[in-house]
Amino acid sequence: MSSHREAPEIAKDPVADSTDVYAFMHPTQDDQVVLIANFIPLQQANGGPNFYEFGDDVLYEINVSNTNKAEADVIYSFNFRTQIRNPNTFLYNFGVIDKIDSPMFNRPQVYDIIRTVKGKTPTYVAQNVPVPPVNVGARSTPNYPALANSAIKTVSGRKFFAGQRADAFHVDLGSIFDLGALRPFNEAHLISMPQMNGVNAVQSYNCHTIAMQVPVSDLTADGKGSSDPLERRNVIGVWATANRARVRVFNKRTKKFMNKGPAVQVSRLGNPLVNEVLIPMSQKDKWNAAEPNQDSDYAAAVNKPELQGLLPFLYPGVFPKLDAFNKGTRPRADLNAILLTGIPEGVVKDGSGKTIFQNYTGPVEADMLRLNMGVPPTAKNSPSFSIYGVVGGDIGGFPNGRRLEDDVVAIELRAVAGATIPLVYPDYVPDDAAGALTDGTTNTNSDLLADFPFLGHPGGGYETVPGTAS
Amino acid sequence: MSETSRRKFLAAAGVGAASVGTVNLAAGSAEAKPSAKSVKESVVVLIEDHKSSELVLLVGDREVVVHNRDLVTRILNAAGGK
Repeated sequence: MSSHREAPEIAKDPVADSTDVYAFMHPTQDDQVVLIANFIPLQQANGGPNFYEFGDDVLYEINVSNTNKAEADVIYSFNFRTQIRNPNTFLYNFGVIDKIDSPMFNRPQVYDIIRTVKGKTPTYVAQNVPVPPVNVGARSTPNYPALANSAIKTVSGRKFFAGQRADAFHVDLGSIFDLGALRPFNEAHLISMPQMNGVNAVQSYNCHTIAMQVPVSDLTADGKGSSDPLERRNVIGVWATANRARVRVFNKRTKKFMNKGPAVQVSRLGNPLVNEVLIPMSQKDKWNAAEPNQDSDYAAAVNKPELQGLLPFLYPGVFPKLDAFNKGTRPRADLNAILLTGIPEGVVKDGSGKTIFQNYTGPVEADMLRLNMGVPPTAKNSPSFSIYGVVGGDIGGFPNGRRLEDDVVAIELRAVAGATIPLVYPDYVPDDAAGALTDGTTNTNSDLLADFPFLGHPGGGYETVPGTAS
Repeated sequence: MSETSRRKFLAAAGVGAASVGTVNLAAGSAEAKPSAKSVKESVVVLIEDHKSSELVLLVGDREVVVHNRDLVTRILNAAGGK
């Protein structure tokens, strides 16, 4: 979760495994958008001597749709190359890495950034941009924040970063995948146990991040921005992909793998938890290889989620209204809108009945993270700020894009449990428990940063005790 | 944008994206001779459907689709030990 090891094939290929996508307005520069794609899940900070790195044989992409067709209208591609400075040592570094181009670093990695606008020739945004080393530990990378920050690439005001980060996603994997248990509600479970706090299964783990901060005008179809949240042109759909050559063959002569053929998509991620929790296991690999505009093939899993049927069974007597809904024929049009088409006008209103938010991208069913760039960011110290996003009354958060703070596990648990059904069926009254569901976890990894690239610095190999947060 | 056209964008930038060509090879028993465009690197030949006439040649970051039932049959025979 939210897409860590979510499908059988990609679980065996972590370097190409996309784990989370975030899209949000810059907290203080409301003409700037931040897009973040994470890959390579559940990295132990002490994973040497061959520490984690981006794959030279993987093409990473961040895709943006801006024409209401759920097609990639703007693509940012990231292509990595790794060098071995000294082939005669097993060491990742020979001494202190105190600067980004330190000769002490034995596996420097660089990448190119290519921007492709549909119908136009791809252009290089930047080439040979350095990736910082991982946070090896106190002796090797003693001033990691400064080292990592020096890898931020600024090009004409746009910012890019690729490198290791602390994973900000939090979830109680151990409980949820143990027969759908939520520790704070343990007593109500079919197999009852004492209540307890949630356990963040991602605690102490790092990931690899590609982050970019660009002007709104770089992502809209007409190259302009506006502050009107009801203008459809302000809504973009975002998803990340990872691609590999069609064939990987072990060359018996060179004793190395060689890649042959064009890149094909092996991993995809838009909204959190869709492939993880909604798509049946037998279809997950196919879903990963599909384009978002093919998602009508999977709409049945959204319109009647398996989890929706399991909740009344696993928590007897807790979800009687959802149980009754399940026995009817009405599809989950609310989930379909939230995840596959965007929320149309007329659904989210203020007290006077005026529509204040929409992120509709047309009738094409497609799993994309939809961000309305006309909605200003909600200040984190504002009483309106809610980690439950739109469900919590904060239209600056998920499913209006996704911020690093948004508790998407709780939001989606509540949505699946029926909290959002009244958006389309006003006669439905959710169960009391639907609006209270949570796995009881919080982000217990490094603090988020106040500025780009926003995700916290990764835990160090020396400093991190497995299972702890430092 | 279709998958193919999307990858073609990237192909123009030389970043390992799709470039799919189709070639019809005439059957013939004469010994083949290298052409001026013959590649000089390893090639992976993929027959995805043994009942079809299609071979996919994976070379560099490209794939070339060849239709030649006789060649498919010869390769299948060889793979079977004959």
